[in-house]
Amino acid sequence: MPELLDHLLATPILAIALTLAANVAGIRLLRAVGAPAWCPPILVAALLLAGVLAALSIDYADYRRGAAWLMLLLGPATVALGLPLHQQMPQVRPLWRPLLACLPVAALLAAGYAVGIAWLLGAPPEILASLAPKSVTAPIAIGITEQIGGSVSLMMGGLLVTGVAAIGFVALFARQLGIRDERILGLALGLNGHALGTVRAFEIGPTAGAFASLGMSLTGIFSALFLPLAWRLVGP
Amino acid sequence: MPALRGFLWLLGFWLLGESLVTLSGLPVSAGVVGMLLLTAWLMLHGGGFDDIAAAARPLIAMLAMLIMPGVVGVFFLLDAVASQWAAILAALIGGTLLSVLTTLWLMRRLMDAPQEGPHDA
Repeated sequence: MPELLDHLLATPILAIALTLAANVAGIRLLRAVGAPAWCPPILVAALLLAGVLAALSIDYADYRRGAAWLMLLLGPATVALGLPLHQQMPQVRPLWRPLLACLPVAALLAAGYAVGIAWLLGAPPEILASLAPKSVTAPIAIGITEQIGGSVSLMMGGLLVTGVAAIGFVALFARQLGIRDERILGLALGLNGHALGTVRAFEIGPTAGAFASLGMSLTGIFSALFLPLAWRLVGP
Repeated sequence: MPALRGFLWLLGFWLLGESLVTLSGLPVSAGVVGMLLLTAWLMLHGGGFDDIAAAARPLIAMLAMLIMPGVVGVFFLLDAVASQWAAILAALIGGTLLSVLTTLWLMRRLMDAPQEGPHDA
């Protein structure tokens, strides 16, 4: 059995099949249970996948090496977001002034609140550096984390928690504050909840999705330029 | 094969983004630069991009799945940061609560002020 497993792990196919299977199972499971919208299938899928890896005693590094082939698609998938962005340009263009004013502040606060809370609770610098890019989309966040000296695995876990929390809080506050404007909801989802929030925004509607793509990309670009600089200035 | 032609377009813009990032030395991801280039290109041409749509829609739909291999890593990291779990979770959840609230409040103030009213359609 271990020999067979080693043999299968020699190519990326097993890792890719496990990832797809966990994703399909997560979606099926949530639909069967009738879970609320704030609980994204990826949360269940990630738990299932971690369970399967542990049960088969597959080393995470081995799995990760195979699954890297799947993660390669993250590049073209990010490029693909240019299409909905273009289709919603007529909606975006008249709002460039408030967007330009809001985005840097909001992106800065998304990182600042989390780092501030962790710092107050006495977390060491390596953990602070892993938390700072928590609202930045994965391909950019990996680069930032490496640059400021955090742990990529911890940062990715932080992305998951942040994405789920952002989807939940946006739904909650939208109801509490009576906000139904898809533009505002989409922007808040993309800005705080990166790719996970953007996927949720597309479920709300195409306008929300486009504003989420916009929020996600601008937060990513701003953070990529600003966080390493701020880290050097404040320097733990 | 519209989806394949569209995928080639996406790869082309990614490669263009990667080249620009490498040449300029900016710490931005090639995907994001490619996305902005694609948006600019589509704005210049205005129509006839069914091929790109055929490739882009399924890719966007599986965006969440593509970050999963990285996300799973956190479950195999538990021991290393065990003493800091409370601080990490408080920072992530508390920080996200505050920043979502700030974003919603800020955007509502800025967007409602001088612009045309919110549309409900």
